[in-house]
Amino acid sequence: MKTGIPTLDIAFVLNGVRVSATVEPRELLIDVLREKFELSGTKRSCDIGVCGACTVLIDGLPASSCSMIAADVDGREVLTIEGLGTPQGLDPIQQAFVAHGALQCGFCTPGMVLAVKGLLALNASPTEDEIRHFLRGNLCRCTGYVKIIEAVVDLAQRKHLG
Amino acid sequence: MDSAKHLHGRTEIRADYLDKVTGEAKFASDIVVPGMLHGRILRSTLPHARILAIDTSAALAMPGVVAVLTGADLAGINAHWGLYLRDRPVIAIDRVRYVGEPVAAVAAVDEFTAEEALDAIQVDYESLPFVTDAEEAMAPGAPILHEDMNKLKDFYFKGETKAVPGTNIFQHYQYENGDVDKAFAGAHRVFEDSFTFPMVFHYAMEPHVVVADFREDSIALWSCAQSPTAVQKVLSQLFEIPLAKIRVVTPFVGGGFGGKASVKIDPLVAALSRKAARPVRVCLSITESMLTCRRLSAHVNLKTAVSEQGELLAKSVRVVMNGGAYADTGPAVAIKSAIRAIGPYRIPNLRLESMAVYTNTVPGAAFRSIGGPQAVWATESQMDMIAEALHIDPVAFRLANMLDKGGLVRPDLRPLDVDMPEMLKSALRLMDAEAGSNARARGVAVAATDPGVLPVGGAIVRLKADASVLVLANTVEIGQGTHGVLRSVAARALSQPIERISVPAPDTDVSPYDWGTGASRSSVVIGLAVEEACADIARQVRELAADLYGGEPEAFLLADGGVVGPNGMVSIRELLHALNGVDSGEFIGIGRITPRSKQGAFARAPLFWETAVGVGEIEVDVDTGEVRLERYVSAADVGHVLNRKAAEGQDEGAAVQGLGHSLYEELVYEDGQPINASMIDYHVPAMDEAPHQFVTLLVESGDGPGPEGARGMGEGGILPVAPVIANALARRYGARIRDLPMTPEKVWRALNDAKKKGGK
Ligand code: FES
Ligand code: FES
Repeated sequence: MKTGIPTLDIAFVLNGVRVSATVEPRELLIDVLREKFELSGTKRSCDIGVCGACTVLIDGLPASSCSMIAADVDGREVLTIEGLGTPQGLDPIQQAFVAHGALQCGFCTPGMVLAVKGLLALNASPTEDEIRHFLRGNLCRCTGYVKIIEAVVDLAQRKHLG
Repeated sequence: MDSAKHLHGRTEIRADYLDKVTGEAKFASDIVVPGMLHGRILRSTLPHARILAIDTSAALAMPGVVAVLTGADLAGINAHWGLYLRDRPVIAIDRVRYVGEPVAAVAAVDEFTAEEALDAIQVDYESLPFVTDAEEAMAPGAPILHEDMNKLKDFYFKGETKAVPGTNIFQHYQYENGDVDKAFAGAHRVFEDSFTFPMVFHYAMEPHVVVADFREDSIALWSCAQSPTAVQKVLSQLFEIPLAKIRVVTPFVGGGFGGKASVKIDPLVAALSRKAARPVRVCLSITESMLTCRRLSAHVNLKTAVSEQGELLAKSVRVVMNGGAYADTGPAVAIKSAIRAIGPYRIPNLRLESMAVYTNTVPGAAFRSIGGPQAVWATESQMDMIAEALHIDPVAFRLANMLDKGGLVRPDLRPLDVDMPEMLKSALRLMDAEAGSNARARGVAVAATDPGVLPVGGAIVRLKADASVLVLANTVEIGQGTHGVLRSVAARALSQPIERISVPAPDTDVSPYDWGTGASRSSVVIGLAVEEACADIARQVRELAADLYGGEPEAFLLADGGVVGPNGMVSIRELLHALNGVDSGEFIGIGRITPRSKQGAFARAPLFWETAVGVGEIEVDVDTGEVRLERYVSAADVGHVLNRKAAEGQDEGAAVQGLGHSLYEELVYEDGQPINASMIDYHVPAMDEAPHQFVTLLVESGDGPGPEGARGMGEGGILPVAPVIANALARRYGARIRDLPMTPEKVWRALNDAKKKGGK
């Protein structure tokens, strides 16, 4: 119950759109995204910053929304999976995941895809070892990572060629 | 017709992929039901205790708290449930049996409030003596967890458990064939070795979650359950509500691996909704999921007799499994572990014994290939140890004793339906091709398991006027791609493009009974049911066409959008128009699979054998004891590949899960407390730990029982990994490890011991 707790007004860019929200200081970014903005593509698994399921991009860099205070995104840019592509218009990373079958249950996928986006923004043609290292904070219990790595290597090579 | 076969049903892209990569897929934890409350659970902090009193008054007085459920609320219903033994209360009644057992549950307007209310609940306990180790729990004088053994028969699995009243043993399985003692007495050598396998957490990334809406005479649930009909059955008996009034809907589930099979938190959430008289959502934290179920840990003792020529003469298997505080499906796990310890070998004299034992730990449960990894770890380690002692090459030793296709693992089981020797040789050839000559430390292991598949399930297929198709089945999409498989089966059987075939989320209100999603069975059993339902439709369509347009039904064939006859194509809509007088309607086909299907051939267990070969190369840091699996070849005879990427993915995922229990994973108990039950302390394989090279060899013998000769798959890949690594370590460094996981410390010590021995 939100009684007697002070609130904060924040404004940020969410998936390219300026938005504002009134949040409690203790509210986590993941809850604000999932509940206030009804963006349920951001997933909660470990809830303590080790699995990456809740990854979003903040000013282009991956962050665990389960471990981030919502008020901290005031004035920043947040990208969730909903802002990346649609089933009709997939982002190249999403296309690569589909083409390589780099997902099964799909629960890790939104976070994984966004982490890849963050990686490729920093390093357009990472080596396989760089990929493995960068993405080690994004767990997947279904795929054994083999096809995820294939998908990202494919993307990295394409970027390299392009 | 033939070209249509090739055109349709071959799409590799699964419909769920698009929704999942874009975040549009609705998972069980995304379900919002109007007016729902949020529940949190207060859990026992003691391993074994009497509950003297629970004071919920302060919690109830908090604004926003709607209801608090405790054992006292269960008066008037059948408070206990189970799958083999009715041993588990919906919520603790007067006593707790493990750290983490639900003691009270709060329903409040939001999760914060519910969480805060937990702190306001006072529980007075009186500690009881506890036991967390299975062997200790079998010793005389051990604290007894369940005074009564309230057994169920043919409830979920066929048969009943052999519990030993007055002890903690809730399953005691025994089997004997041949004259084992005589064979041991006359053997050239007898090897006796013991191995241990840890408790392992499933870590499906989505935690357990259920929304329950309990009304006066009905219950609706949106659940992560892998076995919706089992949930239905248990709830019906607990609350005395007819099956037809219990609806279980299963949206996308974020991984299961057995941890969401049978029944888990559904009864508790239903009871909380009943108390609150509102829909309630309970979404566990991952830590709570760790306190909900885990793989049964095991102590496996093997005694194996061989002749001078290296022929297996007799084997005696004894498995003691730690089943935790409640039996769940543990009795089945124990049986399977004993059988799965045999391996694909000719063993004329066989003695199997397994026990599952209650302890004050998290309840054990099904986990990918129940009992399999525990058994194969022991058997395949020992095969290498024997080969080494006899100075025989371990592959040659295996091949010399391996059953050919059609051989009997056990006389009462279906003959082995896979060519294992050929599979092993192919996997080795593939590894040679991958690795070249710079062979690292290499290990090999094989497995043959009998899936605990009940061939019971159904499907309804509806062909609409516009030739779109709805496939209704209760098969849960937990990531294995089963909905994609069902679509392609229907597309092929009805000669319609796959884009027009939909498989909605399972809903027991509309889809037929299905035993449950697990044990690698869905593609086979429900795939066949869909095939049968489609054949039913095809028959109706062709008979109607013959009736309307003349000729024999055989002269009409289904084709894209309609049916083709002697005088050309008629659309489904035209056909229905002619039948109904308006241009609408539908054809409905029903498919049912029972043990009588295929002229009774399905009655014999197992329905098929799930086999696996693993060949791996490891790299060892001898200074730290750190091991990594560098290259891995995994082979399985899947009969027929229904979707290559999905099938490979299942295999890769299974193997890397196996890597987890091989090197890292173990739920550790100290003083009755699970000390690493959080994802900070419990490590599962991360991307940088996956093998650098991974090759999946899918053998297609085309003679499985499923659609197009498919066999079930998805579990076998987990089996060989641990013995592959252990055998590689032993072969290269002389370091033999018998206890999983092979942590750097254990490996380092084993390397040092081996060095000392070698130095002497
Ligand atoms: S849920 Fe945020 S890192 Fe795991
Ligand atoms: S696809 Fe299931 S956790 Fe990654």
